[in-house]
Amino acid sequence: MSIEVNGGRRGLTDPEIAAVIMAAVPDKPLETQRKMNYFMKPRGKRINEYEVLCCYSQPTPDWIPGGLDWGDWTQKFHGGRPSWSNESTEMRSSDWLAHRDPAFRWHALYVKDKAEEWRYTDRFLKAYSADGHVRSIDPVWRDEVLGDYLGAFGFYEYGLFNSHSSVVRDCLGDTLRMSSAMIGLDKVDNAQMIQAERTFLSKLVPGFPESTDIPKQEWTKGAIFKGARELVQDIWQATYDWNEILFSGHMICDPIFGQFVRREFFMRLSSYYGDNLTPFFINQMQLYFSQTKGITTDMFHTCLGADVEFGDYNNRLMRAWANKWLPRTVNALKDFMAIYATIPEIKGVSDKAAIEAALVRVFADWKRDFADPINYKVDTAALVKTVLSGLK
Amino acid sequence: MAISTATKAATDALAANPAPVSVGAQEVHRWMQSFTWDFDKNRTKYSTKYKMANDTKEQFKLIAKEYARMESVKDERQFGSLQDVLTRVDAANRVHPKWNESMKVISNFLEVGEYNAIAATGMLWDSATAPEQKNGYLGQVLDEIRHTNQCAYINYYFAKQGQDAAGHNDARRTRAIGPLWKGMKRVFSDGFISGDAVECSINLQLVGEACFTNPLIVAVTEWASANGDEMTPTVFLSIETDELRHMANGYQTVVSIANDEAASKYLNTDLNNAFWTQQKYFTPVLGMMFEYGSHFKVEPWVKTWNRWVYEDWGGIWIGRLGKYGVESPRSLRDAKKDAYWAHHDLFLIAYALWPTGFFRLSLPTQEEAEWYEANYPGWYDMYGKVYDEWRARGCEDPSSGFLPIQWFIENNHPIYIDRVSQVPFCPSYCKGESTLRVLEYNGKKHSFSDQWGERMWLSEPERYECQNIFEQYEGRELSEVIAEGFGVRSDGKTLISQPHTNKDGKLWTLDDIKKINCVFSDPLKAL
Ligand SMILES: [Fe+2]
Ligand SMILES: [Fe+2]
Repeated sequence: MSIEVNGGRRGLTDPEIAAVIMAAVPDKPLETQRKMNYFMKPRGKRINEYEVLCCYSQPTPDWIPGGLDWGDWTQKFHGGRPSWSNESTEMRSSDWLAHRDPAFRWHALYVKDKAEEWRYTDRFLKAYSADGHVRSIDPVWRDEVLGDYLGAFGFYEYGLFNSHSSVVRDCLGDTLRMSSAMIGLDKVDNAQMIQAERTFLSKLVPGFPESTDIPKQEWTKGAIFKGARELVQDIWQATYDWNEILFSGHMICDPIFGQFVRREFFMRLSSYYGDNLTPFFINQMQLYFSQTKGITTDMFHTCLGADVEFGDYNNRLMRAWANKWLPRTVNALKDFMAIYATIPEIKGVSDKAAIEAALVRVFADWKRDFADPINYKVDTAALVKTVLSGLK
Repeated sequence: MAISTATKAATDALAANPAPVSVGAQEVHRWMQSFTWDFDKNRTKYSTKYKMANDTKEQFKLIAKEYARMESVKDERQFGSLQDVLTRVDAANRVHPKWNESMKVISNFLEVGEYNAIAATGMLWDSATAPEQKNGYLGQVLDEIRHTNQCAYINYYFAKQGQDAAGHNDARRTRAIGPLWKGMKRVFSDGFISGDAVECSINLQLVGEACFTNPLIVAVTEWASANGDEMTPTVFLSIETDELRHMANGYQTVVSIANDEAASKYLNTDLNNAFWTQQKYFTPVLGMMFEYGSHFKVEPWVKTWNRWVYEDWGGIWIGRLGKYGVESPRSLRDAKKDAYWAHHDLFLIAYALWPTGFFRLSLPTQEEAEWYEANYPGWYDMYGKVYDEWRARGCEDPSSGFLPIQWFIENNHPIYIDRVSQVPFCPSYCKGESTLRVLEYNGKKHSFSDQWGERMWLSEPERYECQNIFEQYEGRELSEVIAEGFGVRSDGKTLISQPHTNKDGKLWTLDDIKKINCVFSDPLKAL
């Protein structure tokens, strides 16, 4: 038969072609090692699918520790700066490819989860609206807190989201790059969920403003988010070291400021004001927070802090970064305390004692999960006191 | 509206219309453009000589969750086919062996492009100022992670299920040995991520995706299925469904800078350089993979090239950008000449250097030789007779002691590497457009094969300093280089690469290579 085949004839199903192919296929496989990436060191007992599909996809030269490739870059930036380089961060590693998402999510698993969350969100909103839940929300909470301040908090999430762009460009490993993109997408998802909630409310509550104008005014000009805004701006645009961006955002700012605002303010208080809608969205954000925490603690504690060669140095550097970013985060939270003056006080819920207890929870969690592992000495009681001084 | 009135209105509205309500993706997306705010330090970390407009829109209007929904539907279909019916019919063992080898290279090299596109679009997400434009690039960041994983899945699948796992199972480690790798990095890695952000977008989106993605991802599925491979179409066509958004991103990049004065000064030069950069590698390499890496042929590469690169891209796509001052690249005509012979020239060299690959290559059979001669008159006199000579000298047989690279040395046909594209060429034995140019800079010699690359180097030599494989391996014996690069199978001695795919043919080992004592030398030193 002719070796040129036209008309979309397929070798798998066309008997004539298939016969030629089958005559050429070896009687038994030529190679017994059938595991892709068999040469790599797995995180667990065996190489898993995530490690097969992600690890060493980056062509990393061996002078970037962990790389398998050799030589120079074939094209550089104008002036000769290299494509990727060890100088892009102050952190040191003996293997930049060591990081793993603890949930081992490659792209398909990541989008599958989020797709399920979206479908469920749609079903939930339909049931919520049909059920008339919206009638029970305290009007001040609804119009001022959700309308203005939750909307303003969306800018916080959006700003942190954007801090991941240069990390995705600059970081030195494949699993790092994929993880950074995913935790970045979760942040814009948070911002979008906030807007989705406001749009949803505007459909149910005539006159509820869907527009981002007032929240933006609050975020850019208001006093409540002033510290947070300045903090986010600097993480996003004034920080060039990709590790410092991730560390300041996910190891200091978000586990303290973000956690307090989401968990201790919006989520805890909403049900007291008859709002069962906000917790639905915040719970998703908290899921993303915990997944992100798994990822970034793997990066900074499991990999960099425990690096056989550079662990001590890296922990010292992280403590220095904590010294730089912690006071600014505390200050952001102090500014945020002014929000309590805008809501009707509920005894034991939103009074000073309750706020203090919430702060203690957040700082204790942060100390246990983020400060202790890098041996960072911190007086959380003093930090709580500083924050409380912002109460009006 | 007063608060109490609003509550009452909500109650009334519910009474009047209790139908369930939700929120759609586009209802959220329409607020996206307002998500950003102005502040002092708000500027990109990656400089560009162009200014991207603040109000650039994107047309796909996705939000994070809707993106995930859309992709996961496609994933279910694709991975369902692979894991279910294709596995049950043992599809991986019904692929022609020559094509099994080609997919070692095609899938892994495409993976490199996909991977670097993650970083490239991360840079564009940073450079764009309009939130909608950032959002378009963000979607692409995620897509390129998807495509990286998908390409990997092909190699993973072929390794697990197929007839020869070697190379599929370790391409990420062994790909760096051979002569095709550095050129791949130029087009698919560094060309996407290192430079002016808009220049990178032009490389990635306007040329890489809009021009070469069609031949690469769509044509490859036709060649695959002709040769029995249904895995590749299943995955690659699913990749292709995302590419429309990427080409739109490239288009939007141009739209966003169209009114900037810099565009009239630099855009066409950047486009010309990007086109030449991409075509210099892809024109010969794709043609070679299709025609020499298959048994059943779909159509001559030159026809595919003319249709998709010259007519569709150079004519229609670039034509659509004409209103923004974009012109067809000046180098397109030279590229068209290369589309006829360059892949034949490259295969001669690639086959001669077969031991450095991570795949098995095969000499053209008698019926293939006839097909080449019919489609490329003059083929036999230039190439066919050389292959006949190599075959007669036993190049497929490990006991022959003959490597075809010896033929180049005996006949005084030195092989050089173009510094800018890293593509090997043999100026004294080729039918393509390559000519040798040698320049000296900082005490080091550099060879070039064409005027366009030479120009790029002359204006910015510091961007193209990468040493080539001959400089790297100089003075080293071939079997040593292969062993060091892990080019052997799991028995520890048989090479992954082989000069044939005959099922009864003998396989070469490291010892067979060592006996020949082939030592690398740098041809530039002899000048
Ligand atoms: Fe892609
Ligand atoms: Fe793409």
